[in-house]
Amino acid sequence: MGNRFRVSAQTFALALVALLSASVWLAAQTKSGAAGKADTNAAKKTWVLHRTPDGQPDLQGYWTSLSFTPMERPAKYGNREFLTDEEAAQIHKEGIQHSYEFTFNDLAETPVYDATVYGLSAWQEGVAPNKRTSLVVDPPDGKIPALTPEAAKMREAARKHGPNQDYADPNAPVKADVAEDLNLGERCLSFGGPPIVPGAYNSNFQIVQGAGYVMIEYEWNNETRLIPLDGRPALSQGVHRWHGDSRGHWEGNTLVVETSNFRPGATFQGASAKTLSITEYFTRTDQNMIEYRFTINDPSTWTKPWTAIVPLSHMEGPIPEYDCSENNNDAVNILAGARASEKAAAEKAKKISQIN
Amino acid sequence: MKASLLSLLLVTCAPIAVQAQTSAQQPPARTAPAASKIATPGDFPAYKAPHTADGKPDFDGIWQSFVTADIDIQDHDAQAGPHPDIMGAYGAWPGGQGIVEGGEIPYKPEALAQKKANAEKRMLVNITSDDRRHDTGDPELKCYRPGIPRANYEPFPFQIIQSTDHIMMVYEFGHTLRTIYMKDNDKEAPKEAPADSWMGWSHGHFEGDTLVIDTTGFVPYTWFDRAGDYHSDALHVVERYTLVSPYHIMYEATIEDPNVFTRPWKVSFPLYRRMEKNVQLVDFDCVEFVEKLLYGPYYKNPGK
Repeated sequence: MGNRFRVSAQTFALALVALLSASVWLAAQTKSGAAGKADTNAAKKTWVLHRTPDGQPDLQGYWTSLSFTPMERPAKYGNREFLTDEEAAQIHKEGIQHSYEFTFNDLAETPVYDATVYGLSAWQEGVAPNKRTSLVVDPPDGKIPALTPEAAKMREAARKHGPNQDYADPNAPVKADVAEDLNLGERCLSFGGPPIVPGAYNSNFQIVQGAGYVMIEYEWNNETRLIPLDGRPALSQGVHRWHGDSRGHWEGNTLVVETSNFRPGATFQGASAKTLSITEYFTRTDQNMIEYRFTINDPSTWTKPWTAIVPLSHMEGPIPEYDCSENNNDAVNILAGARASEKAAAEKAKKISQIN
Repeated sequence: MKASLLSLLLVTCAPIAVQAQTSAQQPPARTAPAASKIATPGDFPAYKAPHTADGKPDFDGIWQSFVTADIDIQDHDAQAGPHPDIMGAYGAWPGGQGIVEGGEIPYKPEALAQKKANAEKRMLVNITSDDRRHDTGDPELKCYRPGIPRANYEPFPFQIIQSTDHIMMVYEFGHTLRTIYMKDNDKEAPKEAPADSWMGWSHGHFEGDTLVIDTTGFVPYTWFDRAGDYHSDALHVVERYTLVSPYHIMYEATIEDPNVFTRPWKVSFPLYRRMEKNVQLVDFDCVEFVEKLLYGPYYKNPGK
């Protein structure tokens, strides 16, 4: 269960780009979600918000944030916020086909990963079509606002890091002297979030509501967020958390979650752990959908706050145990590989000097 | 090291916490206290647990044990920890009474020998990129998921989030998480474990006000303690959680594994509700504290 592709927080964007082109065969294969989604307009009329026994709007279930919609709006759409029904259907169809090809292409290279067993592929997980041209909805141009000069400088400096790190030049030399040189995912420390954004695969969640708490479990590494709803004060700045520290409350039928106290080096898009605050809004819009909106506010990283909407589609459970550090072959193989390369280079240099 | 430091602190504080709770339950000092009202350890007066909105006993809350079973589930003396030359009392392990009913674990003879070998090699770590990595060393030392029932007596709190169909147990230690499937004939949660896992595959139900959890589908790698007590992948654990006061759960687990033990055996101890104002779980992601221990031999400069 601990098997995973090495996909860093940033490469999901590349993977999403890779997930775009077509075929009809797969549409027929689609299991739970996408095929069922065609009926949701009819279902919507009769759908009534379900409540938990203690009267909260019920957000519980298994959800996926997987999406074929890019974070930022592609230039070809200009100021268009929405696709036509035909465009949305086409992108959805192509996305599903490509995610199938993506997982099965990988399967050919690394036969240990069987997409059908591990449920990595979108066609198993029922991603719903999205009519938006981008996940970013504010600013209205669909683009993440400009970085502050300090943040731009830091991101430029990050290009020198090892190629697995966020914002690094993919051609930068591999650095794997010690475990700390690997990225947080490779180290099984954190796979990021909040916010909840689409990854290339495994973007799956479970929400459970108990007395006074909402729990969100991420499939990645079984990382959890426990969100108290009792109005308690935020933690002091003396305690930092891998996923920040969250407080929630209900505004009508929307769960509003405010998060701060991030750990330096473990923030969304390299934001400042000190000044980053994220507000998330979870609204169940029908039986198979949560509209998930988040606003990122970090004046030391972006010149203004920005907001995105990620549809969370219902998927079939369960979410299995994700043992990551228990079988972390990545860490062993990357470090051992770096040592083997050094040894080979040294031997080559020795041979050359002998010839000369 | 941090784990043993914390365990030392917690265990040291435990008697104080219990004492404070006991005195809080006593009537005001000015009236003559009736001796029978002072709680006797191990003997809880009759109690009816509050129920959730859907009519089940409510286990929501943050819980922690205060036994020293993580060191040894059987009776044991205090002992020096690793490297007493630099760790001093920080690294020393407290003594304690065991949690095994009847005191003895009914090992098969060859299994007892394995337990002893485990204990001798509890700090011998040899990480490979295959299953041989699990051959030696206490999994807790390596920050691996502790399994059941050990997760419930590690010196860290855990939180129960209870809904109708699922009960989640979220542990502060590492990324340890259990999902207890409560729904009958849940098509998303088949009766048989879909795959072996560290925390097992758990179905729960209520017997009166007792939560009963049946867990199978374990990997053979977890230990019950630092003393090398272990099991095979045939492990079957049945746990019983009963609220015996607003602040206590009486916990009981029956352990069955015909590959290792001659008969089923039982552990029991109370779990205490954490009562600090605004108490919450924080992160103990020990993965970052064990990287050098695990991967050091593959570092560029392994000695440094």
